[in-house]
Amino acid sequence: MYNIIAVDISGRHKINDRYYMVCAAVSVSITAAHIEKVNQIKIKPFWLDSTPELTDIIQVIEDTAKEIEFEGTIITEHGEMYNQPERVVASMFSREFKYQESLGERSSIELAHHISLCTRNLLLSELGIESR
Amino acid sequence: MKRAILIQRNEPKSDESKNIRKLIELQDLARSANYKVVGDVTQTRGTDRKYQIGRGKVEELALMVEELGADGIIFSNQLSTTQIYNISETCKCEVIDKFQLILEIFAERATTKRAKLQVELAKLQYELPKAKAIVSLLKKEERPGFMGLGSYEDSYEQDIKSRISRIRKELASVQKDNESLRVKRHERGLSIVALAGYTSAGKSTLFNALVDEDVHVEDMLFTTLLPITRALNIRERRVLLTDTVGFIEDLPHWMVDAFRSTLNEIFLADVILLVVDASESPDIIRQKLVTSHDTFWEQIEGVPIITVLNKVDRITEDELQKRLENVGYLAPNPVTVSAKNGLGFDELKMEIYRQLPKWKRDTVSLPMSEYGMSIVSWLFDEGIVHNINYKDRIIVDFEARDEIIKKARGIEVKQDLKHSST
Repeated sequence: MYNIIAVDISGRHKINDRYYMVCAAVSVSITAAHIEKVNQIKIKPFWLDSTPELTDIIQVIEDTAKEIEFEGTIITEHGEMYNQPERVVASMFSREFKYQESLGERSSIELAHHISLCTRNLLLSELGIESR
Repeated sequence: MKRAILIQRNEPKSDESKNIRKLIELQDLARSANYKVVGDVTQTRGTDRKYQIGRGKVEELALMVEELGADGIIFSNQLSTTQIYNISETCKCEVIDKFQLILEIFAERATTKRAKLQVELAKLQYELPKAKAIVSLLKKEERPGFMGLGSYEDSYEQDIKSRISRIRKELASVQKDNESLRVKRHERGLSIVALAGYTSAGKSTLFNALVDEDVHVEDMLFTTLLPITRALNIRERRVLLTDTVGFIEDLPHWMVDAFRSTLNEIFLADVILLVVDASESPDIIRQKLVTSHDTFWEQIEGVPIITVLNKVDRITEDELQKRLENVGYLAPNPVTVSAKNGLGFDELKMEIYRQLPKWKRDTVSLPMSEYGMSIVSWLFDEGIVHNINYKDRIIVDFEARDEIIKKARGIEVKQDLKHSST
């Protein structure tokens, strides 16, 4: 069993000329095939006026993950980082980073995805913004 | 034997070791399809719309084809119809890509009706997006109908579509038969254990060694195309072991879809044995495990996986430890075995037993009669009888799945009521 920080960002598309994004970072203890324990969850909204660049996405993830009290490699889907090679993205992070590999890591990202998506939907409805 | 030249276009800044591995895999695939590899060419650059690789490289290739007397060119990258047309026009020989090569292997090995249908479906799905382009390239000069703009393209595409739907229907009915067989096996208390893993990991060798069978094993990719199932006794639990087709990196979705009914044998099993060739380098093992996890994702829904590190006789203890440290995070419930000399089989069987759907232990008291004896015989068939005591009544201590225990309890109560009413 080992700790990771699974990260997912929802809202990478424009609504009313802005990007309303929510980043969810989840610290979990996992095995190769399963999530064994959820240690901590952090969610942060980010509003952007221009199309998010890779550096913006990394900043968003770093800002959310730094609030997690547990150690662990940051893990995302390939698409989150515009399918850039792992070593290119990893060199831009201030902490350890890698793309998802095992079933346990994929399940963790799925969990982070549900959290970020639900949070974003709630926030948008609170703000009275049409989500589509 | 046909002579072929292999070509691979690498993306700039891509992982060098991955590129080398891909080329080696292409060589293995070509050999499996009975090609003699007479040369290979790689180029690092972005995609060329017309030729996939650079135009200059294609001209070089044409000279190479002539010099080496090659009958064909095999590309590692997926080619569009226009690219195939342009390259074959320049090189004056047959041009195929990796996926067409895989289809050739599959077509050659497919023996049963189901396998043939799956291969045909995969072929049609490969052809569908190219249908319009193929016809327009072939009929450049000839346009049917008034004013010369006829509908050859549409009718050809339509024809492929209708053939796809016809094969899908036929496959669905085959799949239905298989599903009912699977349900029946479960009803009979048989658990299904499936062997999965990258192609050439030694699944068939392990299968043969476990069930003492003689399934065709060869040092080639995709030797097993259709699942083969045999019974196996694991600590008195009867299980069915299924050998399946191997995975391969970057397998396109249309191919996974075409082989869905075969892959379902893995996805719907009770336990999956993920076989890995432990003698390969840690990096390759890691990559192959990632491909396997990728294939399992969103398909297996919590089925326990046992990672079987096979071929450990080829490496030292230190090397094995290093591999376990490196790929441990991708290997659920690892067990080390050597299918060749039977090393680690006891541990593997123990692990399979641990992961099988749980049976419960119970005791029933049955009347000492012919009927009681028939129930005892039924319990021997359906579960594991640990202890049996013949006195005034027959006391059976047994282990079985829930439905059997409930049924046995029902019989016990019914017999008691009958006894008290007489």
